[in-house]
Amino acid sequence: MKTSILIFLFLLPALAMAVSVDGWMDIQTGGDSLSPGMGRLDAGGLLKGGNWSLVVHQRFSHEDSTGIVPRILNTYSRTDVDFSIEAGPVSINPDVCWTVDIGDKKPEIVLPGQAGVAYREGFIRPGLFLEVDITENYRLFARGLYWNRDLKQEDGYDLAWTESHINGGLSCETQGLTLTMSGLYHKTSSDFIDYESTWNRFDIALSTKPQSLPANFYVTGDVMYSFYGGTNYLGDDLADRFTSRIRFARMIVPSLAVNTTFESVIDYDGVIRSACTSLESRLVYRFMRSRDITSSVVVFGKLSRSSIRTERAGIFSRVNLFKGLSILLEAEARVTPTSVAGAEPDRKRYVFGPGLEYQFGTTARIWGMVEQERTNLETNQNWWRIRAGLEFYPGTFNF
Amino acid sequence: MMRFVKALAVIAALFILFIACKGPVESTQLLINADDCTGCGECMEVCPYNAIEIIDGDAVIDPSLCHFCYRCVEECPEGAIY
Repeated sequence: MKTSILIFLFLLPALAMAVSVDGWMDIQTGGDSLSPGMGRLDAGGLLKGGNWSLVVHQRFSHEDSTGIVPRILNTYSRTDVDFSIEAGPVSINPDVCWTVDIGDKKPEIVLPGQAGVAYREGFIRPGLFLEVDITENYRLFARGLYWNRDLKQEDGYDLAWTESHINGGLSCETQGLTLTMSGLYHKTSSDFIDYESTWNRFDIALSTKPQSLPANFYVTGDVMYSFYGGTNYLGDDLADRFTSRIRFARMIVPSLAVNTTFESVIDYDGVIRSACTSLESRLVYRFMRSRDITSSVVVFGKLSRSSIRTERAGIFSRVNLFKGLSILLEAEARVTPTSVAGAEPDRKRYVFGPGLEYQFGTTARIWGMVEQERTNLETNQNWWRIRAGLEFYPGTFNF
Repeated sequence: MMRFVKALAVIAALFILFIACKGPVESTQLLINADDCTGCGECMEVCPYNAIEIIDGDAVIDPSLCHFCYRCVEECPEGAIY
């Protein structure tokens, strides 16, 4: 009885505090010759008190393929429950996430060490994140995650597949410079196939945001050196990696902004070599800004060169017609490698499509698009695709 | 001191440009651009080696399990893997 009274006395102040409730929902559906019945539902809620919050996120995803391209052949449910509490300079964030593969055909997983294949049925992953603000400029963080995967062989034997992921570090920030030192350890094991693999990484990262720049001009620079330990699937040592990135953003006039990022990655495993170079740019033009819905045109382009070649360029526009009604238009060209047997190594895709959208203030948005895609696989192929969605955000309720 | 730091930064930038201009030889790991990744999880679903997981809203590739099949590169709607 005394214990119950004590618990009640501790809980009473928490319950008496003001709490707010948020909820959201996003439904997307569509159909094409690749995925005749694709659909995704995301729903979530946030309960927030003075120094704590609880987020629950639920996803149902269904994608079905006709086999032209090896796509997702799965229907699954994913649930995330995330709790966080702040006590002075300390933030504690335990969470748990689990998935259940609910389709008739379970996704096939190729096992390491030529151990054959297994079928994925889901996983459960508890985790814990801790963060401590030591002073205004120094921050300590640590994260631990543990996966227990439900992987089964054809005869029904469970592989007892588990993964552990631990990382943590220290960051300090001063005069536009941030220095972060962190370490990561990852272990994968399966008792049933006698498999164990570990790899680790130690990062030293420096990022800068110059403070004295011309008006409406924004530059960030990041460099990071990662010392790797462990081997890849062939048993070769993982190379150390030096990553550098510089980003420029400029608002040329109030309606026109441009954002460009250059990235270079250098690997070192006794030999210094360029591993990847990429350049990305995005230009955003906003017009009819006096209306409730601002019209915009986004032009973007990106190319990367590594062991593979990827390129992407396109345009997306939203032109407001009347009240919440807007017309959408997208056009995109992409080059990626492909795993489709018999196709050229570089797959070229061109997507074009108009659409309509209606926004009900900030509460809801409904949209639909009709796209045509042309791609070069074994032969040049064209197909139509219809996509539609509904986003719903009722707002915040305070109690 | 600031002059020394600036000179060091210029030398480092020139070195990076020099290596980058020599052309990519081979990458020992795929790269995920965390700025572009939306954490949608399509790469994770399509990976036949169970080598990708979403951690803190971004995809993370396990370099010991990745077999460079490039399905994730082909699938990523944002083009964030290369």
